[in-house]
Amino acid sequence: MELELTKEQSWISESVDTLLSREWVAPADIISASAERQRRTWTALVEFGALSIGHEGELGAVELCLIARALGSHLASVPFLGSAAVRLALAPQAKSLPAGMGALVSGQDAIGIAVLEAGSGWTVERAGTRLARGSDGLEIRGEKVAIEQLAAAGQLAVVATLDGEPAVAVTPADAAGLTRRPQRCFDETVLMGTARFDAVPVPGGSVLGGPGARTVLRRLMTAGSLLAAAEAVGAAGHILDLSCRYAGQRRQFGRTIGSFQALRHILADAYVRQESGWSAVRYAAAALDDGDPEAARAASIAKAYVSRGAREVAHSAMQVFGGIAFTAEHPAHRFLRRVGVRAQQFGDAAHHERRLGRELAERAARSRAGGTA
Amino acid sequence: MAHQERLPRDEARLRDEARAFLAENVPSAAGLPRSLDARIEALRGWQARCYRAGYVGRAWPREFGGGGRPPVEQIVVDQELAAAGAPEFVNVVGLDVLGPSLLRFGTEQQRQRHIRAILDAREIWCQGFSEPEAGSDLASLRTRAVLKDGHFVLSGQKTWVSWGQFARWCGVLARTEGPGRPRHQGISMLIVDMDSPGVDVRPMTQITGHAEFCELFFDDVLVPEENLLSNRGDGWKIAMYTLGHERGTAALPRQVKLRTWLDRLAAALGDRALDGRALLDDPGAQVALARAMIGIEVLRYHAQRTVGEFLSGGAVGPESSSVKLLMAEAEQRLAATAAELLGPAMEQADPAEQDEDAFWEETYLYSRAASVYGGTRQIQRNIIADRVLALPQE
Repeated sequence: MELELTKEQSWISESVDTLLSREWVAPADIISASAERQRRTWTALVEFGALSIGHEGELGAVELCLIARALGSHLASVPFLGSAAVRLALAPQAKSLPAGMGALVSGQDAIGIAVLEAGSGWTVERAGTRLARGSDGLEIRGEKVAIEQLAAAGQLAVVATLDGEPAVAVTPADAAGLTRRPQRCFDETVLMGTARFDAVPVPGGSVLGGPGARTVLRRLMTAGSLLAAAEAVGAAGHILDLSCRYAGQRRQFGRTIGSFQALRHILADAYVRQESGWSAVRYAAAALDDGDPEAARAASIAKAYVSRGAREVAHSAMQVFGGIAFTAEHPAHRFLRRVGVRAQQFGDAAHHERRLGRELAERAARSRAGGTA
Repeated sequence: MAHQERLPRDEARLRDEARAFLAENVPSAAGLPRSLDARIEALRGWQARCYRAGYVGRAWPREFGGGGRPPVEQIVVDQELAAAGAPEFVNVVGLDVLGPSLLRFGTEQQRQRHIRAILDAREIWCQGFSEPEAGSDLASLRTRAVLKDGHFVLSGQKTWVSWGQFARWCGVLARTEGPGRPRHQGISMLIVDMDSPGVDVRPMTQITGHAEFCELFFDDVLVPEENLLSNRGDGWKIAMYTLGHERGTAALPRQVKLRTWLDRLAAALGDRALDGRALLDDPGAQVALARAMIGIEVLRYHAQRTVGEFLSGGAVGPESSSVKLLMAEAEQRLAATAAELLGPAMEQADPAEQDEDAFWEETYLYSRAASVYGGTRQIQRNIIADRVLALPQE
């Protein structure tokens, strides 16, 4: 039910669905598929215009969330999340950005986001990876983990510290001094990797520090949270549809199991969680597109809610399937895995709840101080 | 929290006007009389003042005393009323339930007779739907009305009748048709004058200590035939329309009210200390508060998305059941969070905080009804399973 989508948005949603159905590789085959076959879906998406982001008449957060939802629903294995989130984060400042970063927005490169380090959380202010001054300008030194689609990425956006302050650097993924390794992931089709930076030189036009960096990083976390949440909604929605269909066919005790109230209520609750999760993503994405100052907060709310809710939906669906969903051959676990990974990225529910709770307390404290002053 | 909705210019102007009016005029909770009778009179006056200012029945047809404006304007106003902490309109049942039914199904004469008096609270309405043996299973109701010499002769018992002791009119669901028909089709909606001989009203005390509800007893009450709403056998259809209407429109003002309560809870947590530390500084309390806030905000986002359908002229569909479930969940989470977080501080029983304690006790107790009234949580799940997911019938 898409009550508020414009005609164009509905068209984007349907077109991406069609494209993904046509190019689909079964999740079980993704790892063994040829590199060329793996790239085909991505090439088709880029040709469709999925990376035309940020300029007048191009895609905004709502459209990108629609695409992310479709990707989640198809369990597609493409470098979309990083590529879209970085562009969405940079686009509003595109004109004032260093040249190398501005070019990134309008280019067609797949981008990987390098935030996490071993043992770190999703807080971007205290990266151990540093931008240090070498003989020939700035160099990146450090190690990043859980970079999605690292092998497919042409460029990496690296969160680092420069003179003790947060900064972002962009580097080609095949730069000298950069060592990439695949890394295991709860969802193997998400294709995570680690990257070691041994004094990787970055030109001055590809580094952003100071207050500009803080703004871009905040926006990157907001955009990433939303796209990850949208994908989780897509994945959870698909497994929920499959389980409803199954409940309408499977017979036990001489009845169709979907006629048992115990299951009907599980599915009804899952449906509410699913639809309201999408409402939350949809609202926050529209707020981001409108330049609403509350957009970051709305994105945190959506990410916290969907991270719990999409898991709950996937769990409910698996309960309805029963034992069959516990076989590797059955697709249920693949949806669960995708939901699990997206629930973690850009902060899990607890991360966002802590942040929202602190903000609430600070706001209440401020209004007390205002009241007594 | 200062949430500014992004509204079109006309609606923003209306919002600002309503806000200014309310800042001047809202009676404070403490300013209302203590005794129930005097309180009801004050509340009638409050509704009448709001009606004259154009804030009641704003979207109802002009010919019957309404404002004739787009429905979205009433929602804007209702949210401002909630944000300002205005007392609930005393004729809420007339405004949310029977009024819309009269407008949709009533005759010209019925609408001319009743709508205006609903709007300015000159006549309070109640609804006689539930019975002791017909709660969630409303279609099993036993109250009977037999047509004889131009009158329905009405007998039976109704319960959970909000404001029944102050009501002049009651919309009563009664069985008018014989056993030959499917039970849903044997029910009619009658407009009953509460001053008729044979109507007995008995207030019931709720767990909150208030007597907002009544039981009604009808002993051969004569109801003129022209007080039938729509046709004989249409009662079920009208009741479902009515309940859906209530579910579809109540959520947006309700979430505003819940947000004001959330702010109030945050303030109370800032005021109170436990073991020398303000409750508000406890990270566990902050997360609990955040989770309550998330429930309320998601209710807002989802209600805005689904109310769009209603506002663009569509019927209130089964999607209103999702909103109803989220609304109960949000209210109960907030109230339970308050009870849990303030609990230890409440037991210290600081006399200076008695009123605040009483508010949260009542809010917590009342919140338990949110998943029961207007169709229980289980009924809403059944509606979704049947009408949205199209699962096989039980």
